[in-house]
Amino acid sequence: MEKMTQDQVRTIANMLRKRSLWMIHYCTGCGAMELPPTMTSRYDMSRLGLAPFVTSRQADILLITGYLNVKTLRRVITVYEQMLDPKYVIGFGSCALNGGVYWDSYAVIKQLDRYIPADLYIAGCMPRPEAIITAFQDLMDLIDSGKADGYKRYKRDLAYYKENQRKVLG
Amino acid sequence: MMGIVDKIKEIDGTKVTVQRENRIFVDVEKERVIGTLYSMKLIGFSQLSVLSVIDRIADNQFEIFYVLYNRDEKVNATVRVWIDRDNPVIETAEKIYPSAHAWEREIAEMFGVKVEGNEEAGKPFILENWNDLPPMRKDFDSIKYSSEHFVFRHSEDKNE
Repeated sequence: MEKMTQDQVRTIANMLRKRSLWMIHYCTGCGAMELPPTMTSRYDMSRLGLAPFVTSRQADILLITGYLNVKTLRRVITVYEQMLDPKYVIGFGSCALNGGVYWDSYAVIKQLDRYIPADLYIAGCMPRPEAIITAFQDLMDLIDSGKADGYKRYKRDLAYYKENQRKVLG
Repeated sequence: MMGIVDKIKEIDGTKVTVQRENRIFVDVEKERVIGTLYSMKLIGFSQLSVLSVIDRIADNQFEIFYVLYNRDEKVNATVRVWIDRDNPVIETAEKIYPSAHAWEREIAEMFGVKVEGNEEAGKPFILENWNDLPPMRKDFDSIKYSSEHFVFRHSEDKNE
């Protein structure tokens, strides 16, 4: 058998990775409400190979459900740094995207991707389970094509992310 | 038989307003709050539902209110007291209603009210690294704070 090139190994690894994603959903806001129907028999996300998971060490996807304030951001960063590569972040709902209805709040951070790299955003308030399923399928396509490289960006631009984190967390 | 309203009216220094059935307001002076709460507990108001503050900035006062509930009579009574906004100090009610402990920590953090006798009031409770005005005060400018500390997302990167 011929020796496989790095590219071929990566292609096969990505193809396998996208078929078995474990998700830790860090329920920071009201968005957590949309996950039980997504997980259970009504929309049944396990048919796509996704499963909810309880620990950060074994999870592949970090789903940020809803707004993040200064207090929860600190915990989210801990969870994100505990996760092993490859790891993917989905920002869920308009609050993670731009603050949403909490845009003028003294506690809510406005842009998730200044603090941890987000691979995908789901817009809406609230996104329906259909939108979540679509987002998972999009994420699979991104993983397959190698474009979901948030964890690589986090390593490369660590100084940028740490500086932003330090600004809000002190 | 004596009604619950009459029983409250018997407590010294109270001004009772019956807004509707089961909804009673009791206005007291600052010095009489603890005594009133104790008397209210004795006549059957066994539960402290809410302790919070209204910022009466036009009068330069804080209105502290204790919502009490009487399970036997099914009556809500609100004990209200107005204190000076520039020097907001109240005495703790946690000896009478233990659940006041957490409420007092909250109003100490969110409004800057000093609570005498509650050792943990004033320690960080919900907010982390807060060094501005207490955020629930009316003169706290949330938008200004928000724009100073966080970066808003603008739509100009649409064209890229």
